[in-house]
Amino acid sequence: MLNREEWLPLAHKLDWDYSYVREDEVFPEVISGRPWLPHSEWKDWEESFKTSYREYVDNQYEKDMAVLAVHDAVGRIENVQKLALPWLNSLKVHAAALPLAEFTGVIGNLRGARFGRDSAWRTMATFGALDEYRHTQIPLLLFHPLLRIDPQFDWAHKFYHTNNWFAVAARHFFDELTVGQNAIEFHIATNVVLETGFTNLQFVGLASLARESSDHMFERMVTSIQTDEARHAQIGHPVLAIVMKHDPKYAQYLVDKWFWRNWRLFSILTGLSIDYLTALDQRPYSFKEFMEEWIIDQFLRTLDEFGLEKPWYWDLLLDELDIYHHMIYASAYSYRATLWFNFVIPGPAERKWLRQKYPKYWDDMGPVWEQISERWRSVGPGPANELAVHGTAMPTFCDLCQLPLSAGTPRKNTAKVLVHDGRKYIFCSEPCQWIFLHEPERYASHTDIVKRVLSGEAPAQLPNLLTEYFNLTPDTWGKDAHSGNYEWLGVRKESAA
Amino acid sequence: MPVPLYGFLQGDTIGLLILADDGDTLEALAQKLQAAASLRVAARHPVRVVYNDKVMNPAMTVAQAGFEALDRFDVLSG
Repeated sequence: MLNREEWLPLAHKLDWDYSYVREDEVFPEVISGRPWLPHSEWKDWEESFKTSYREYVDNQYEKDMAVLAVHDAVGRIENVQKLALPWLNSLKVHAAALPLAEFTGVIGNLRGARFGRDSAWRTMATFGALDEYRHTQIPLLLFHPLLRIDPQFDWAHKFYHTNNWFAVAARHFFDELTVGQNAIEFHIATNVVLETGFTNLQFVGLASLARESSDHMFERMVTSIQTDEARHAQIGHPVLAIVMKHDPKYAQYLVDKWFWRNWRLFSILTGLSIDYLTALDQRPYSFKEFMEEWIIDQFLRTLDEFGLEKPWYWDLLLDELDIYHHMIYASAYSYRATLWFNFVIPGPAERKWLRQKYPKYWDDMGPVWEQISERWRSVGPGPANELAVHGTAMPTFCDLCQLPLSAGTPRKNTAKVLVHDGRKYIFCSEPCQWIFLHEPERYASHTDIVKRVLSGEAPAQLPNLLTEYFNLTPDTWGKDAHSGNYEWLGVRKESAA
Repeated sequence: MPVPLYGFLQGDTIGLLILADDGDTLEALAQKLQAAASLRVAARHPVRVVYNDKVMNPAMTVAQAGFEALDRFDVLSG
């Protein structure tokens, strides 16, 4: 019987020469990706984990048992009910955004498992698909039962099946990243950019926040997921190395494009959780500090390792660390009924902290919160006044990332209008327009929420838009978590919810 | 005739869709945007309307200024 060291190379390298079909018919460029190269260029593809199926199943079983043990000990509904209100709403964000996005990762990995260019790559992608299926099922198992205490947790299943504006943006991202992607671009974009970089935000940053917030169930879940990510993220690195060798300009484009697209989505998913939806005394760091330590530094090391340049928009990205997610949060607060979780206004103590952490632009953000607070003072707290402290005009969205036109600063919004093939588009930023212009055939026919309203596909009146198109109800749409009943506002109402 | 426009008010955190009438003066257009953003930005006077990088005459109408559907305009303080 072969020992492990003898067995693994046999199980990993299973390629053979085709005699009845051509190699480019087995691995068409349109689905395997470019540059199309003969297998001789891929045959040395290798990664460092080298696990067998039996080892994989044994390890995953142990990890699942550990998650379930923590769930039984501290993951019951009564434990969740003790969590701080802002953090509970952060959980709702991730409960919706995470599970089915991970499921699209199953599809992307299965494409790699069939159309990856070397058998070792295909084997690892098969494990990657199993990982992502696990990452779908665990959060669904943990979050969806919380529907019993809060109907907003229904969005754990529902989110990606709606035309809610944030679901449209997330689908636009994950459909391109995973569902409709060729194997090469999928593994570079997902493994190298998202999983080596940005999932640190989700799985290291949020694990740390969860620990501070005494949410040990969430901490265990994301930590367990991260151990899988660290393994299957290794698939992309040898793919990138080979693309870099044969077409460095394309490799640079893929990395630049996907770093920006990831930044847009994760700055919202995680930025809001760290800087707004975690109680002030439980914030170990700011979003910017975490980005600088865990994402920016690591990404620069990865670029260096592969001989890649910094993306051309690097200075802009560093500038956005100080402002973008603040613009989004204030905008989203004022359109909170368009989302499925509740918000809190940063009070004087939070604003002092934000000013210390973000001195560059906070002078421009502070007046926005003063104005919103003043509206609550004038109408008084209470659920009945929610919509009196809410936006009424139609918000606007980027034709690439599908997120609100909230880039730049309050002094100067960076949205750009472009006419392409006789049709008018608007982009939140120069990089979003740059990505569109590189692949207009991929993006041009997609319509954002504003265009859907103008064409009559979506209702124009906000209440109808919320209920008929965004699949929200008065029970589930986002509210101020305290109904405007903040002691620091000076108009506290004891009876307010 | 209604003209949907992307309006950006200085001091605000998001662009808004403003349904202008082509007979609206740019002064009235600026007021529409300020009213739409009033939850986040206190009204300021005077303001300027900027279109295609040019400060516009507030007495001109939307049609006279050449605004077309889904164009961007800005309302700046001062």
